[in-house]
Amino acid sequence: MAKKLQGETFLLSANELRSGKVVFFTSTGWSSSSSEAIKIKVDEIEKYEEISIKEEKKCIIISPKFVELDEAGNIRTLRDKIRNSGITIKI
Amino acid sequence: MYKYSDIDKKIIASRVKQFENQVNRRIEGRLTEEEFKPLRLMNGLYLQLHAYMLRIAIPYGELSSKQLRKIAFIADKYDRGYGHFTTRQNIQFNWPKLLEVPEILRELSSVEMHAIQTSGNCIRNISSDHLAGLTLNEIEDPRPWCEIIRKWSTFHPEFSFLPRKFKIAVIGCTEDRAAMLVHDIGLRIIKRKNQVGFEIFVGGGQGRTPIIGKKIRDFLPKKDILNYLEAILTTYNQEGRRDNIYKARIKILVRELGIEKFRSLVEENFSKLSNKELEIDDKSIEEIFGFFRLPPLKPNTNQIPSKNNHEYQNWIKQNVIPHKIQGYSIVQISLKAPKKPPGDATSNQMIALAEISEKFSFSEIRVTHEQNLVLPHVSNDELFNLWNQLKIQNLATPNLGLITDTICCPGMDYCALATARSIPISQKISSHFNNYLKQKEIGDLKIKISGCINACGHHHVGNIGILGLDRKGQESYQITLGGSAKEDAAIGEIVGPSFSENDLIDAIEKILDTYKKHKRNKSDDFLSVFRRIGIKEFKKDLYDNFTKKA
Repeated sequence: MAKKLQGETFLLSANELRSGKVVFFTSTGWSSSSSEAIKIKVDEIEKYEEISIKEEKKCIIISPKFVELDEAGNIRTLRDKIRNSGITIKI
Repeated sequence: MYKYSDIDKKIIASRVKQFENQVNRRIEGRLTEEEFKPLRLMNGLYLQLHAYMLRIAIPYGELSSKQLRKIAFIADKYDRGYGHFTTRQNIQFNWPKLLEVPEILRELSSVEMHAIQTSGNCIRNISSDHLAGLTLNEIEDPRPWCEIIRKWSTFHPEFSFLPRKFKIAVIGCTEDRAAMLVHDIGLRIIKRKNQVGFEIFVGGGQGRTPIIGKKIRDFLPKKDILNYLEAILTTYNQEGRRDNIYKARIKILVRELGIEKFRSLVEENFSKLSNKELEIDDKSIEEIFGFFRLPPLKPNTNQIPSKNNHEYQNWIKQNVIPHKIQGYSIVQISLKAPKKPPGDATSNQMIALAEISEKFSFSEIRVTHEQNLVLPHVSNDELFNLWNQLKIQNLATPNLGLITDTICCPGMDYCALATARSIPISQKISSHFNNYLKQKEIGDLKIKISGCINACGHHHVGNIGILGLDRKGQESYQITLGGSAKEDAAIGEIVGPSFSENDLIDAIEKILDTYKKHKRNKSDDFLSVFRRIGIKEFKKDLYDNFTKKA
């Protein structure tokens, strides 16, 4: 999960097992709001990787991943931005 | 249309129960995600960017009004009020919750629908010509053959864990409206010396290695079709690669062995493995054909109402074609209204369309691989009334086969595999070329857009294909020219370096300028011009202009 990471700061994200919705790891558990998510330094990755494995085993989340932040603390990639903010089109 | 037998009903009901049990075990932690994933995929359930996605089969593209109403009900109750018709005659829901999927499957089973064979390394939903059974030049209706193959392939124990997914399309005439030549197996019904049988193609496909299918058999008697398919699948199962996902499709095997060698292996299996039980007798064929009879249409001299209304006239010209029974028409409904995602339909549109189909088309609806719908049997004298009702639902866009009738995958707005967005590109094209007369001036033109190399948007076979890529974090769009998914199937050629989203419409305009410059007359369409002048001319005009502009 952390093998190809680039950058310095990340959020831990996943999908909720039961609903499938996108969630972020916060100090009080999982939240759909990325603004509440814990900002993870690159040297803390291992610790949060372990947390995500435990959360997966508890059947709370699936497909955990680290979301890279840019220098200003914003989500860097378009894919992660869309994952966070939702589809960019009107239905 | 086909009606489930008692066995079909039992199979589907037990499958729903089985999946419900699997979901419960997953939630309780008795199944890991690794164990559960192949099981959910066998029931059409993916995990996408934002949520789960459920893909439901619409076998050979045929829907009843009752089924469409049920889909609308599911969209409202379990999803977000809309569904997305795909390029393989399926429909996808983008927001179902895992816990509710068994309920959705139960609802579907109540109208003889399911999500089996819509994912996983099995024989997928068999697709067909959306005009099957409706045109005069058809040798035979391909739908019964799709159903015969469906019956044989569902839960086939040997072919449920193939090296990769496996797609089959069947058509019944020379015209290919099902992209048959870019399927793992393509079957065309032909007549030879008064005997009807199959011409068989193998090893077609798109994705990262696009290949046009090669002919493996000039003619196969109908009764042998299942034995021959079994021989092809067995050869693929034995020889196909399982060590590399990118080399596991049958097209790679056929390419690596060569068609002659592959054919000899298949023929060997065919003579060795063929058995009487798989031969289809005339009675069984007759029985299946019984499900696909036309409704009681009486030939008549009803004329299409002539109205002094340009919009209506354009729609008649563009979207309505003659039925084989005099006095009736086939109405093609575009799901490419301006600013709307291609292939999407809201639950309100589905409910309205179910009612409309009951009133005007014997409760039948067809789904096309180009992400449009069809009302197959409409009396000519009802066309103006029908148009009025479709217009209220924003379902009367007159653009069938024109530049705004784009095929488009969900792209990065939904898909976990996508490298770029595709729907916004389609919307830009439909806004820019919205004017009907401008579209008519351009003529028949297929633009197909994929958000990644997996090519769900069929960009390889677009007359103009657009492939969304990620170039150092930026969306970028590569253009291919000269592709075709029809009987003259061809893989498009890459025209040159890719374009940003902002430059893409200008690039398409430049390509169209080159086309117009070389167009000889009204019937000289884009593909004909491309084939005559080649890609160099397009390339020169396109990149010279962009260089000058820069």
